[in-house]
Amino acid sequence: MVGVGFRREFAEEMISGEHIRPDFIEFAPENWMNIGGYWKKVLHRVVEKYPVLCHGLSLSIGSPEALDKSFLQYVKTFLREYNVQIYSEHLSYSKCDNAHLYDLLPIPFRMDAVKHIAGRIQQVQDYLQRPLVMEIVSYYTPVAAEMSEVDFINEVVKQSGCQLLLDVNNIYVNAFNHQYDAKAFIQQLPLSKVAYIHMAGHEQVAPDLIIDTHGEPIIDPVYDLFEWTIQHLQPVPVLLERDFNIPEMAELQGELTRLKNICHKQWKRKDELVA
Amino acid sequence: MNLLPDTYHIQQTFSTYCRTGEKVKLPGVAPHRLKHYRQLVFNMIHDTMENAFPIAFKHIPTAKWNKMVKEFFSKHACQSYQVWKLPLEFYTYAVAHNWEDTYSIPFLNDLLAFEWAEMEVYNMEDIPAPAYSLSGNWLDTPLVLNPEHRLLSFHYPVHLVAKPKDILKNKGVYFVLLFRHPETGHVEFTDLSPWLAFLTEQLTSGITVRDILEYAPQLNITDTGTLEQDTLAFLKHMQQLHFVLGFQQ
Repeated sequence: MVGVGFRREFAEEMISGEHIRPDFIEFAPENWMNIGGYWKKVLHRVVEKYPVLCHGLSLSIGSPEALDKSFLQYVKTFLREYNVQIYSEHLSYSKCDNAHLYDLLPIPFRMDAVKHIAGRIQQVQDYLQRPLVMEIVSYYTPVAAEMSEVDFINEVVKQSGCQLLLDVNNIYVNAFNHQYDAKAFIQQLPLSKVAYIHMAGHEQVAPDLIIDTHGEPIIDPVYDLFEWTIQHLQPVPVLLERDFNIPEMAELQGELTRLKNICHKQWKRKDELVA
Repeated sequence: MNLLPDTYHIQQTFSTYCRTGEKVKLPGVAPHRLKHYRQLVFNMIHDTMENAFPIAFKHIPTAKWNKMVKEFFSKHACQSYQVWKLPLEFYTYAVAHNWEDTYSIPFLNDLLAFEWAEMEVYNMEDIPAPAYSLSGNWLDTPLVLNPEHRLLSFHYPVHLVAKPKDILKNKGVYFVLLFRHPETGHVEFTDLSPWLAFLTEQLTSGITVRDILEYAPQLNITDTGTLEQDTLAFLKHMQQLHFVLGFQQ
């Protein structure tokens, strides 16, 4: 299954299915909860047409302070109402000192942070009665790290029992920004725990820095890394993210088709069920 | 909590930097990389406010606007987990901190309230209307109004006039009704006289038009003989606009 991030900018095109036909859609519950009027009608139309996966923004699993129980309650209701098949979130924090920051801040790679986060993931999983799928985020500087990134991720997965969202573009971006080997990094991950893949474009803003913008087409080296990566995985849903500089739908469909062809080629080779 | 005080402190320092942009020292952090977080976070807040308050953004000089957004984000702990609701916090912060005086923009509260109300009514959760009938007596049957509305009062005509100079010249008492069209979801707004604002407010309480009209002399409204006729004409017009839905069954 290859899906696309559902955005208001191309809602009607998605519903008509004329120029773009993903296998599923993904959206952030926070952008659609407690909404009425025109956009609620649109949401109902699109969820009738496509299977839905959700990718949260505000859970802030890495926050130092307590989880927001009322927010979780809304999420649980929303996931049930829209029959959401996968709920994923970010291995980062976006709230601190009781203030939301609306972006993904890097967690210190430390063992006390691992324990703290693992406990929170378990709380969320128990409450939602479903596994949480955690995305390895892109980051631009480590913060007070006492262990490697890959050890940190492995420990979080081991101690929490969560699944992983492997954003291949994030791995490419991190490998570039922090000068490590993307394939070696991926090989050290608990790949049997990967439940979902994201793909996106990025922007290089300095000779040594890439920002994960989701505003450009996927570049060839990221496609190559994707093709290499999925040879080591069981088939999982793959999502194309495009949040800015939205192109013509034909261009997005072209990216979807390319991803789909790679999935068919690599996963069919292993006689795996792709769709 | 398993987090050690040191890790907690580091996370607080990092997030405080993102909110304020004020220099911090963090172990293992590359300063030239850190600045990108501040930019990304602040740009998101700035864009959210610009999109929510396009008229205010256009009228207020850029330096002043940037100062407002910076102050808001650095000093206010944003509570909404939905970014589209953040402009409400910006507006209430402006009121609570008397920005009209601080920034010498006397119509600021009215303008922010108007722009926020437009966004709120557009996005607000659906409110089911009570059952209604399309036939009834305009004077004696309580009316059913579109529940997806806001009735606001202003000191400045921010909903009528575009240029700040003209807004300031016309200080007075203004009422505006915003409502969401039940089918299209578009937000309509209409300027109301004090009498029509009073009427609208009373109608939402289920009082009949006849009873409201009887109250008019107590509001010092001079009935020139056409008040009833004008009131009914207004209500019939509002029915065409889908604000008056019908008559209570």
